[in-house]
Amino acid sequence: MRRLYLITRDLHLYIGLFISPFILVFAISVFVLLHGSVGGLGRESSAVSRTVTGVRLPAGAQALQGRARLEALRPVLDSLGVHGEIDFIRHVARDRRLVIPVTVPGRGTTVTLDYDQGVAVVTSRTQPFGEALAYLHRTPGPHNVELRGNALFMRLWRVMADATAYLLVFVTVSGVYLWTALRAERRVGIALLFAGAASFSALIYAVAR
Amino acid sequence: MPSPVDRLSLPDASRSRRAEAFFIWNRRLHYYLGLYLLLACWLFALTGILLNHPKWEFAQFWPSRVQTRSERAFTAPEGVTDLERAQHLMQQFGLVGEVQWPTTRPAGEALAFQVIRPGRAIEVKADLAARRATVQQHAYNVWGLVHTLHTFGGVRANDRVNVRDWPLTTVWVLSMDALAVGLLLMVCSSYIMWYRLKSKRRGGVVALGLGVGSCGSFVVGVRWLT
Repeated sequence: MRRLYLITRDLHLYIGLFISPFILVFAISVFVLLHGSVGGLGRESSAVSRTVTGVRLPAGAQALQGRARLEALRPVLDSLGVHGEIDFIRHVARDRRLVIPVTVPGRGTTVTLDYDQGVAVVTSRTQPFGEALAYLHRTPGPHNVELRGNALFMRLWRVMADATAYLLVFVTVSGVYLWTALRAERRVGIALLFAGAASFSALIYAVAR
Repeated sequence: MPSPVDRLSLPDASRSRRAEAFFIWNRRLHYYLGLYLLLACWLFALTGILLNHPKWEFAQFWPSRVQTRSERAFTAPEGVTDLERAQHLMQQFGLVGEVQWPTTRPAGEALAFQVIRPGRAIEVKADLAARRATVQQHAYNVWGLVHTLHTFGGVRANDRVNVRDWPLTTVWVLSMDALAVGLLLMVCSSYIMWYRLKSKRRGGVVALGLGVGSCGSFVVGVRWLT
């Protein structure tokens, strides 16, 4: 029993320290997601544009859909020096244009591609720190399922975000186990455990009933 | 009368007692907060996983939502602003929740909006001239409920159309803020507790270093590399 306690205590400590930067990312970004601009965390920055001519699209790429279109356009974006997660691809058929927002945490780039003229306008904007955290918080997320995870960093981030959530559950469960060994703190702890569960359940009931 | 040695050690002893009290309360803060926030932590951790895996069959909620549609008559909505008129209509229809506006206003004498709350979304399309409205409700299953609890905030960041208008949305948002503050405090208190465990410092530096390195590679590293 003593051995289990010591192992649990070490795992709680080391796993908690490992996930702590991720917890900070998720906790700080909550304020940006819920309140927009918070001090310097959410301010906009000015955009920088450049125009590239002679851009060639693979034949019929604009007519493709979903992942196939993304795969066809990826080499074009690479040739323009634009790398990152493609958020979505919008085909404005009337103007013969493709609009492609590409994001990495801290930088958003929009490529507007006139596929008849072979002209691409690449507009980049450096995101403030808080916006980069908020981007990581809400991705990969439930939207654009077919396209999401088209960049390597996003596939890795999905693994790390999941790992953070699973390890957080482990850290909380192991924390409860460690607390049960502190006899002097049991009464207060039980009261707080019930108070937290009751107030949170009541709040959920109030907003969702 | 205290000796010179005693006079020197008195402030030190007092400082030491204060420091000890701080460390005791830091430890208490860590597990008191952890116990109080336990359920909320579990909800947001587990729903976070669900949100990252929208293809998981068991957690689908949109296809199995229950839809009801009704035609309602109403008296002329009171109020100067669209929000006031919408809230008066909601009162007449017995609807409660956060009003969400479409990006474009419908033409003519019409009022269209959504009333949302976790687990439910209601679309209202009111013809102000004919005093008739269609009310379409989408009620989600338990997966839909927990999914929307995670994302419910009333207003998205950079939303210029909507304002938080339901008091319970504000309460929910404040409780999410409190959870975030609680997590920040727990992380800080854990660093202090770890720092005091001299035998665990080296292993802790490795664990924290790995965490900072891997997390930092996403927060700033990807931008530098691309």
